Amino acid sequence: MTRPSADLLPGRTAPAGPSASASPVLSVRDVRITDRASGREIVHGVSFDLPPGRTVGIVGESGSGKTLTCRATLGILPPHFEVSDGTIEIDGTDISTLTPARWTELRGATISAVFQDPASYLNPSVRVGAQIAEVLRVKRGLKRREARERAVELLRAVHLRDPELVYAQYTYELSGGMLQRVLIAAAIAAGPRILIADEATTALDVTVQAEILDLLADLRERTGLALVVVSHDLAVVAQLCDEVLVMRGGEVLEQGPTRTVLGAPRHDYTKLLIAEHEQYGLEKFLDLKETP
Amino acid sequence: MVRRILGLTTGRIAVAILTVIALLAVLGPLFAPQDPLATSDHPLAGTSGSHWLGTDYLGRDVLSRLLDGSRVSVLGSLEVAVTALVVGAVPGILSVYLGRAFEWVTLRLVDTLVALPFLLFAVAVIALLGNGLTQAMLVTGVLVSPLFYRVSRAATLSVARSQYVEAAIISGASIGWIVRRHVWAKVLPPIAVAFAQTVGVGFVIVSSLTFLGIGVQPPEPTWGGLLASDLGYLGQKPWAPVAPALLIMATVWAGNLLADAIRDVSGEAGRALIDARRARPDRLDKTDPAPAGGTR
Amino acid sequence: MTTTEAQVPPAHRRGVAAARARHTVLRVLATLARSAAIFVPVFLVATFVTFALRALSGLSPARIQLGEQATPEAIARVEAQWGLDRPFLVQYWDWFTDVLHGELGTSWTNGADISTLIATGLGVSLSVAVFALVIGVTAGFVLGTLAALRRTTWIDRAVTGFVTVISVMPAFVVGIVLVTVFAVGLGLFPSGGYVPAAQGVGPWLAHITLPALALSLDVVADVARQLRTSLIAAHRENYVTGAVVRGLGPRRIFFGHVLRNGLGPTLATLGLKFPALVGASVVTEWIFGLQGFGRFANDSAQTGDVPAVQGVLVVSIALVVSFNLIVNLVLARVTPAAQRGV
Repeated sequence: MTRPSADLLPGRTAPAGPSASASPVLSVRDVRITDRASGREIVHGVSFDLPPGRTVGIVGESGSGKTLTCRATLGILPPHFEVSDGTIEIDGTDISTLTPARWTELRGATISAVFQDPASYLNPSVRVGAQIAEVLRVKRGLKRREARERAVELLRAVHLRDPELVYAQYTYELSGGMLQRVLIAAAIAAGPRILIADEATTALDVTVQAEILDLLADLRERTGLALVVVSHDLAVVAQLCDEVLVMRGGEVLEQGPTRTVLGAPRHDYTKLLIAEHEQYGLEKFLDLKETP
Repeated sequence: MVRRILGLTTGRIAVAILTVIALLAVLGPLFAPQDPLATSDHPLAGTSGSHWLGTDYLGRDVLSRLLDGSRVSVLGSLEVAVTALVVGAVPGILSVYLGRAFEWVTLRLVDTLVALPFLLFAVAVIALLGNGLTQAMLVTGVLVSPLFYRVSRAATLSVARSQYVEAAIISGASIGWIVRRHVWAKVLPPIAVAFAQTVGVGFVIVSSLTFLGIGVQPPEPTWGGLLASDLGYLGQKPWAPVAPALLIMATVWAGNLLADAIRDVSGEAGRALIDARRARPDRLDKTDPAPAGGTR
Repeated sequence: MTTTEAQVPPAHRRGVAAARARHTVLRVLATLARSAAIFVPVFLVATFVTFALRALSGLSPARIQLGEQATPEAIARVEAQWGLDRPFLVQYWDWFTDVLHGELGTSWTNGADISTLIATGLGVSLSVAVFALVIGVTAGFVLGTLAALRRTTWIDRAVTGFVTVISVMPAFVVGIVLVTVFAVGLGLFPSGGYVPAAQGVGPWLAHITLPALALSLDVVADVARQLRTSLIAAHRENYVTGAVVRGLGPRRIFFGHVLRNGLGPTLATLGLKFPALVGASVVTEWIFGLQGFGRFANDSAQTGDVPAVQGVLVVSIALVVSFNLIVNLVLARVTPAAQRGV
């Protein structure tokens, strides 16, 4: 496996070191999400700032509103759901002012996402490589040939062995871990500044999961990508994130630097989550973070 | 089940139309105002007091012929549906249980039947094997039976491999109870849907065959035959085909409607579906944004 | 296959291209093999049933040629001439090998070569059937797409209503309506008959338009309904969300992703519909006075000309099987995943 040089990757050259003082690429201010059909508020105020090269983690059980928050920032809320209060700014642009055409422009190029069950997020009837090349052609205006070569490079950049072969394969011919890599390659193809990983490692084997997390960390370091990592698994968040939000029932229970939240949890629910994870060696990650 | 079908407007319309048609078939010949075979001196007459729908090219009363012909059409389509049901559903259910050889053979036979252009085949078989409507309908029934085979096989498969049946067996329920409680509940609705559809299809086939003059002896009136004889006199009486055509279409439509109604009320989603239908009108005003950002 | 030669682009690219070509050829071959596994038995069983018709019907050329009063000896002599005294399976095998060579035998009624007779009618029938398919697919495609794109609006309901109405109209009813309105009433089209395309495309189209239209309505209804359903289903799939998130525009998503996957079930429906289309030609050819092979089948069946009927059936089965083979190949290209039963 050849490790590609950073210039193969899209996006800006990596900043010398992520600094917390840089202006945030994603800024979420007291966002509330309401189901118009029933009139109920589902998410009761989420706020965070995400500077380039940093990672925010959102932890919570299913139904806690973490996925809805992500979808709101991508502008893909399910039917009947809407952001009823608060603002979301992507790279300085308030998303409530975006027209559908501007949204299309923004997605992929500035903000992108990967999800759980990667196979379903790729078209089963089109070779996976062609789907990456499509993004390159549409978003970066590459010619057919260039797009193809670039897509293969991207497949290599996400550490897929034999990218030429993978390029020509269909989703049903690839494993879950490979598909998640392909999905990541497609998501970063147009060089976005923000990548949202919504339960991106949930259905994978533990070892594959670790590899994908490494890949995300790698991308963040080399390209200055800002990550939003959503998971119900505290270990995932601990490994990757600078800041963490603990959500339950649409409420942010606790929020702060990962080390503080996990090291000295104030809320009972957070303590419960941590206690459940003690046996999986969560402490190890905490130790690693403390001794850089 | 019946009550729930009648709970749907579409179900009520379908049942109403089918009931009227069935009554026509049973009682129609009694109501016929005149002898459907009696000729008169007024061929191709228009609507009048004595001939509500006018007369045909031999001066026979069209309404009487229509009423009298309903029996052939209705019985014929029922015959098609029942034959298809027996020939299709029984092997369909058994194919799940009787081993791979039986399964393979029946599947190939079904593939074959599906590939036969059945109207062409029905015409050929019926003309060669004897000119009788009963044989005609039996043959047609066999030709459309793959629908029942597939539907009942799929339903049986889903039950046979389902975990709740396994759980019932493990917890010591008797086979008879399982069949009554679980298998019928799963297998009957799709078969009922297929049956309603087949009645509609059978109607088209019977009409087509009688239209071609196959399966009936000439003086005997049938809906298809009425249309065929009208065809020769379109110049003089262009609206003549309307009544039989509308009757055929209404029946076929009712069959399809009933099939949809059964599909809607059966299965786990049955109740929910009705509720969803009731709930739908007040949701329509809210635009249904394309789930993924709008393809409008 | 490895990437060890990744640093030598031209050679590598050629190797990859060859590998991909091999991959594609293998996929096509696999599809062909799978299709053959279905269609060869179908063809065998169908031809066997077709051939068995004679034995079942009890009809004999002797009755047609000699009349009802023929002596048993005369009948036996005529039947021996036709080779009907041999064992059933021998007769079947001879007939089957002839069929594979395109020989469909000679007519009992006039001794004419059946292959020739059918070939003359086939041009008529195929013209109508293909034109009907073109109309049906085009109109069905437009209606289904329109309804799916404007779902839950009045356009959707109007299309659905229209489709319901035309789906319950039997081909012969449509045919009669068309003749009444366009031929007898308005005089826009000839009410029947056929002119080969060689004598002018205009008259040819004029003669096949009404019968093709009559045949096509069923296809329109099926294609529109299936396409609407599968497009709406495809639109709810995650890969659409995926494409949106990657920043692709609505039009590209619809044509490149939704339509592609929605087409699969529609094509499959078309394959299932084709036998009905061929069968319905019996009725439309009767109405429009076309001397196609459906009409030929009907006439032969009525006179008890068994070899002629068998010939028509074999040809129709061959048509259906080849059409479905094409559909399967196209399906394998359009939706490769579905072919694996995934």
